[in-house]
Amino acid sequence: MATVLIENLTKVFPPTANQPNQVQALGGLNLSITGNVLVAVLGPSGCGKTTLLNIVAGVEQPTSGSVRSVQDGVPAHISYVFQEPRLLPWRTVVNNMIFVQDRKSDRSRREAEFYLSMVGLGDVADLYPSQLSGGMQQRVNIARAFLVNPDILLMDEPFSHLDALTGRSLRDYLQKIWSQTRKTALLVTHDVNEAVELADRIIMMRPGGVIFDDIPVNLPRPRHPSNPDLQFLQNDILRRFDSMEAAVRFGVG
Amino acid sequence: MSDLSIVTPDSVAQLSDREIRRSIRRRWVTRTSILLGWGAFIGIWYILSDIVFRDPRLPSLHLVLQRAGRIIATPGFGSDLGNSVLRLLGGFLLALVISSVLGLLIAYSDWWRNLLQGFLQLIVSIPTIGYAVLALVLFGISPIGPVLTTMLVSIPYITLNVAQGIAGVDRRLIVMSEAFGRTRKQIARDVLLPSSLLSLLSGARLAFAVAWRMELLSEIFASSQGVGFQIRSSFERYDTQAMLAWTVIFVALMLIFEHLVLRQIDRWASHWRSAEPSATR
Ligand SMILES: Nc1ncnc2c1ncn2[C@@H]1O[C@H](COP(=O)(O)OP(=O)(O)O)[C@@H](O)[C@H]1O
Ligand SMILES: [Mg+2]
Repeated sequence: MATVLIENLTKVFPPTANQPNQVQALGGLNLSITGNVLVAVLGPSGCGKTTLLNIVAGVEQPTSGSVRSVQDGVPAHISYVFQEPRLLPWRTVVNNMIFVQDRKSDRSRREAEFYLSMVGLGDVADLYPSQLSGGMQQRVNIARAFLVNPDILLMDEPFSHLDALTGRSLRDYLQKIWSQTRKTALLVTHDVNEAVELADRIIMMRPGGVIFDDIPVNLPRPRHPSNPDLQFLQNDILRRFDSMEAAVRFGVG
Repeated sequence: MSDLSIVTPDSVAQLSDREIRRSIRRRWVTRTSILLGWGAFIGIWYILSDIVFRDPRLPSLHLVLQRAGRIIATPGFGSDLGNSVLRLLGGFLLALVISSVLGLLIAYSDWWRNLLQGFLQLIVSIPTIGYAVLALVLFGISPIGPVLTTMLVSIPYITLNVAQGIAGVDRRLIVMSEAFGRTRKQIARDVLLPSSLLSLLSGARLAFAVAWRMELLSEIFASSQGVGFQIRSSFERYDTQAMLAWTVIFVALMLIFEHLVLRQIDRWASHWRSAEPSATR
């Protein structure tokens, strides 16, 4: 069973050319995730979501605090769905998939094609990324993350660059492929809709990289956006954000 | 099921008739001016050979071309040409490998960048004849001199272009590779080099133009075989016709290579850019 344990995590970025002051991206974050759950981290843009994922993925170092990701006592194997497709433009779709595989074998291609077909892209394996629409490229991004059979799956607003209809159809693909694999997953998003539709648990974050609320979502899958329970939950979450803002504004939080 | 953002053939902008006509006209203007340039070259040659000098010091172009034909037909021709081409390719390929490594070093470390930039500028600023003479002094009459000098003059052009290409690589692709646990070596081979390949190739084109001239020059000074050697020995026999014929042959071959082969390689390397949008989905 996979576990992510985050303790007192902070990240401060030094001043840069376009921002004269240092930025506190994460302000002492504590979080523990365990088991085959999909956890959403919900918060407005700039609140430190990408920074959090980058630190969990190990591509960025924290200023202080610790992150431990373990699977049965050993370091967990992590994969990442990025906000943009991040495909190598000179490799075909299937070769982009094979690129992230550790052991290349005769089976590599078949495995890659299997995950491509899970997101409905069985027949574009030999095209180049530039030949696909944005939504199709993003599906490759998702398939690639599942291909490496990770213990923990990180997803950074994978639908935010797509138009609403394409985003919805991709969410369906994600629900399907996640339900079949049930990977421990951390999904970062600024979209309340998306969080209630996909997550088993929603963690709410505010600017400065601070968690202010954490609620379970016990609704059966597959969930449809028009489900009144989802609507109800969504309103509840929006209210929580409102009162957090009021509290911050009046210096109570 | 399928996306709405499908690329259809209709969405590709159509050129208007006027634009098409204009682009055809522009192409013809370009072609005619190229022909005019060639014509001027031939004309000046005839004026000099048949009107100004009128003696064997400068033979007419058609005599040179006839001589070139006879040279090509001789049995020894293949070995002379082969020798020159092998040395040229040897030096050039060595330069490609070394420059790729140096380019990576420059892109990765400030220390290497500072060290190499000064060094490479120095290499470029020394006139090629300096290398040819030095190679003769150091290695005598042997293939080592031509190969090394060819390599040396090619390296700066390729290296600087590789470094520039790597500096322009999309950082997000590197982060992606790291997140998926790719090693530094894999990232260098599968991300950095491919994405700087086009830049490498344009460096290689520049370098090749310098390299074959260098190769010829160092053969003229320090070789007992090859096209350069033949040019020198024709010169020593005061046989300008043969000297010019050998030069014409080699220059023609190199220009054909630059324009046909290198351009084809360029096109092959960028085929993923020009791949047609899929119209089916
Ligand atoms: N590499 C960086 N250098 C400086 N500041 C950064 C860097 N990355 C992110 N930031 C800043 O940290 C804050 C959080 O960024 P980010 O984690 O990208 O937020 P989110 O993903 O929630 O939109 C922002 O204010 C952003 O400007
Ligand atoms: Mg972000």
